[in-house]
Amino acid sequence: MKLFSNTINNLEQALSQSTTKQRVISNNIANVDTPNYKAQDVRFNNALSNEMQKLQANKTNNKHFDFGSTSSGYQITNRANTNYQHNGNNVDIDKEMTEMAKNQIHYNALIDRLSSKFSSLKTVIKGGN
Amino acid sequence: MSIFQSINTSASALTAQRVRMDVISSNMANMDTTRGEMVDGEWQPYRRKMVVTQPQGNQFSSFLNKAMGSSSTVDGVKVTEIVEDDTPFELIYDPDHPDANDEGYVAMPNVDPLKEMVDLISSTRSYEANVTAMNATKGMLMKALEIGK
Repeated sequence: MKLFSNTINNLEQALSQSTTKQRVISNNIANVDTPNYKAQDVRFNNALSNEMQKLQANKTNNKHFDFGSTSSGYQITNRANTNYQHNGNNVDIDKEMTEMAKNQIHYNALIDRLSSKFSSLKTVIKGGN
Repeated sequence: MSIFQSINTSASALTAQRVRMDVISSNMANMDTTRGEMVDGEWQPYRRKMVVTQPQGNQFSSFLNKAMGSSSTVDGVKVTEIVEDDTPFELIYDPDHPDANDEGYVAMPNVDPLKEMVDLISSTRSYEANVTAMNATKGMLMKALEIGK
C-alpha cells in the first residue's frame, strides 16, 4: 500500500501553479509603467485539454523536442478585453493587487493543508504518541 | 526557473523606478540651469531627460522558448535608454543675465515642474506597489519553509 496518497502530489502541483501565478503578477506590476506592455494571465490546463493537445507522433531521435504543447499544465497568455492607457499599457493595478492577495491566501492555505497532511502521517508513524 | 524569479522581477522594477526618480530629481534640480551643455562654443540650457523602459525578455531566446511552449518569457522590466525632451526652450526677457542674447532674451530649460511632480508621484506609487508584491512573494517563500514542520 502506498504511504503517500495523491493528496501530496495534488497539493504540490497546486503550489507550483500558485508560484507561477505570483511570478506573472509580479511581472505585471513591475511593468505597470512600461509603454506598450500587455498584461499577462496564467491559464491552467485541466486534464481534458491536456489529453486533447497530445499529438500522436514518434520521435526518431531523443534529442528532438517534444511534440505537443506544454507539459507544465499552464500557459501564459496576454490579457485581452481590457482598455488601454494612452501609452498602450493595459495593466490594471487594482486587479493585479487583488489577484495577488487572493493568490497569497490560496498559497498559504495549500501550505497549511500540506503541513497538516505531513503531521497526520507523523502521528500515524508514531502510533499516536 | 529559480524560486527567486518573482523577487528578481520586483527588484528590477524597483531599480527602474529608482532610475526614474533620479532622473526626475535631476530635472527638478536643473530647472533654472542655463548652462547645461556647450554646443559650438555656446551654452545651451539643460534639456529635460526621460527614461525609456521595456519589458525584459525581448531577446531571441525568450521568443524561442515561447514558441516551444515553455513560459519563461516574463522576467521584469529594464531601463533601456535615457532620452531628452525635444520641446523648445522657453525664452524669458532678462537683459542682465550673462546668457542673454542680443535682444535680451534668455533660453530657459524645458522642464515643467508640474509634469515632474506628477511623474514623481506616479513613480513613487509604482515603487510602493512593487515593494508590496515583493513582500508578498517573500511571505510565500517563508511560508514554504514551514512545510513539514
